[in-house]
Amino acid sequence: MLKDIRHLDVLVIGGGVVGSAILRELARYHARVALLERNPDVCEGTSKSNSAIVHTGFDAPPGTLEARLLAEARELWPQIIEHLHIPYLQTGALMIASSQEELDTLENEIIPKAERNGVTLQRLTREEILEQAPYVNPAILGGALVEDEGIIDPFWTTRAYCENAALNGAQVLTNESVTGITIEDSQIFVRTTRDLTFAASMVINAAGLWSDEVARLAGDYSFTLTPRKGQFMIVEEDHGVSQIILPVPNRISKGILVTPIVFGGVLLGPTAEDVQDKSDLATTAGGLQQIRQGVGKLVPAMAEAASVRQFAGLRAVSSTGEYIIRPSTVSARLLHVAGIRSTGLSASPAIGRYVSELVRDQLGLALRDDFVEELPEYLTGTHAGDGDVICLCRSITRGEVLAALRSPLPPETLDGLKRRTGAMLGDCQGNICLPRLMMLFQQQRGCDPLVLNKHYDGSSPVVARITEGRSSTKGKEV
Amino acid sequence: MSEVYELAIVGAGLSALSAIADGLGRERTIVLDYQEEAGGFLRHALPAPGFEVPWELMRSTRLPQTIRACFSATVVGLLPAFEADEPHMLVVRQKQGTSEIQAKRVLIACGGLEITREHAQVPGSRPAGVMTPIMAHQLLAQGYLPGKRAIVYGDARYTRATAQRLASAGVDVSLITPSEAKLIAIEGSPRLQRVALSRAGETYSVEADMLVFGVGMMANTHWLKGSGIDTAPDGRVLVDADYQTNVACIYAVGTVIAPSLDHIDSLAMGKEVASLLLGGIL
Repeated sequence: MLKDIRHLDVLVIGGGVVGSAILRELARYHARVALLERNPDVCEGTSKSNSAIVHTGFDAPPGTLEARLLAEARELWPQIIEHLHIPYLQTGALMIASSQEELDTLENEIIPKAERNGVTLQRLTREEILEQAPYVNPAILGGALVEDEGIIDPFWTTRAYCENAALNGAQVLTNESVTGITIEDSQIFVRTTRDLTFAASMVINAAGLWSDEVARLAGDYSFTLTPRKGQFMIVEEDHGVSQIILPVPNRISKGILVTPIVFGGVLLGPTAEDVQDKSDLATTAGGLQQIRQGVGKLVPAMAEAASVRQFAGLRAVSSTGEYIIRPSTVSARLLHVAGIRSTGLSASPAIGRYVSELVRDQLGLALRDDFVEELPEYLTGTHAGDGDVICLCRSITRGEVLAALRSPLPPETLDGLKRRTGAMLGDCQGNICLPRLMMLFQQQRGCDPLVLNKHYDGSSPVVARITEGRSSTKGKEV
Repeated sequence: MSEVYELAIVGAGLSALSAIADGLGRERTIVLDYQEEAGGFLRHALPAPGFEVPWELMRSTRLPQTIRACFSATVVGLLPAFEADEPHMLVVRQKQGTSEIQAKRVLIACGGLEITREHAQVPGSRPAGVMTPIMAHQLLAQGYLPGKRAIVYGDARYTRATAQRLASAGVDVSLITPSEAKLIAIEGSPRLQRVALSRAGETYSVEADMLVFGVGMMANTHWLKGSGIDTAPDGRVLVDADYQTNVACIYAVGTVIAPSLDHIDSLAMGKEVASLLLGGIL
């Protein structure tokens, strides 16, 4: 029994953007590190369904850890984007005030708060805004430009953190859900649904929306997280929108935004709906209607624009209202990194750095001198001999699909392939190319189509083989 | 630079085949299509009752020597000529890589894409088992059943043919037309469990593990973005009565100019374009 225990220095629970960033930073040290993700791919939770903004943190509560980490992350992003080849555009954000009340909030609260966070907002008149962004609703009263806000591919970011960590020796294990945590003096035992047991000197709880439940497995009931649903719509035609357009934030949320997508199109949303079920990702007619109304106030053309896709994500609202980055109440060896609200993507470089330094100090880890910062560029480039298009709507070639299937952290699901290549994201939503992708999966990875899932277990696009009798009937017809 | 074709036809679906059958392409012509063979997306549904004419056309059309047919060759961009005497340029992706093809005249006959559940903004969850007819046909052709209990939603002839094909493969199929009931939500995760429908103000649900969403087509024109070819807000290419786009020597025909077209009209349009182009009117 003891032979089956895998010994580690640090185990990270959760393969979202936060856990993955921590894993990459930990891989810099002489240490055995691993990450467990309960889904078939990394970036399956909050990290994949958000506005994809690298946010300056201009409206973070000044003086908090969140504000500090967001400020540090601003310094770290340029190098990370370069080393991991992450698609990123510094678009800037236009904040729009549509009422006198919003103008007052902007002047009296937002701008002073931004200054305390080290972010300069450039005040713009109505005319200045309409001149640089003629698509904005002419009924606005004024606003401000936040120059340093940008857009990024959150999935690429998360995957690249993990791949870079893996190429530096860290382990990434998907389909591993934690079922038990036992704390002893010198180590923590973590068991998973596949009956693996890990013994680690430190465990990082970065399980996103589920981190309160992971804490409870260890006997720590010190915080709870509740899900807040955000529905989004994707519009292919950008109607000229080249900047993030957002309303003046109110005390509850940042509101409904119009955000360019780094690989084309525009994202509308999110709604902010407190829900009960941590797996409720359904869109609703009411939610979509609310998005239309919200964006109409900012960019009227978006209120009626055709949408190629709608989806919902859940973000964590913590009972403490702020980042929970601290040791658990049961052991200093279990460190929570929870309640990261909606700033996890933006702050991830600094959270990774901060948490890895806490671990370093606690375990006395030494830096390696052979850590490779840069990820090879295997997903891009030309693929001679495999240049034919598989995904018609997005012109994704066979070579690009094969490169993803052969990558260091290859997809195990069709959605994983979609997020690595961009295939199936266009007008036909994969209806034309999914069967072709299924066959490529089978050729490259030996996956039986019957067990190749769209995302979670039991989501294969096919349910049975056509029996001999049936197929011969069909043969006669043809 | 490589040779300049007299005519490039983008797409080898029904309207293109119909024009070729009527004599188009007797001068040096290139035909380019995303798929491995001719017939457009409709070919996956054929043969089927009511589609005898296109089936016959697909089987009988022999391309003349003057036509170079390139399959698995996807046109990803169109750069119209700056000057009247210069050729237009097409950017093409095929196995050997990306290349440019020049042609004096271009016929856009690239058809349409099916309207998806997402495009129609049907709310609910995003489970496996929700598809359009083309996915269902392809999965069947690969030897797999996409579900055991299907709801086929739509009213087009093509959608009805899909329902029949699924039934003959052993799927338990219910056809629901939009005039009968409106699809209002999709439920279930990770696989489709049921759909919510509304009829005369009353809401009810039907259990199913697959939904074929077959309400119609939209124009396949995303590749024309930035080309300068005028399109309508719904994506279709705008043409005059002679199938001429806003750019000289670029024409369009078939579903790409009229997404609600029936296949019979596509065939007729192909004939008309052939006679106009051959007659030297254009």
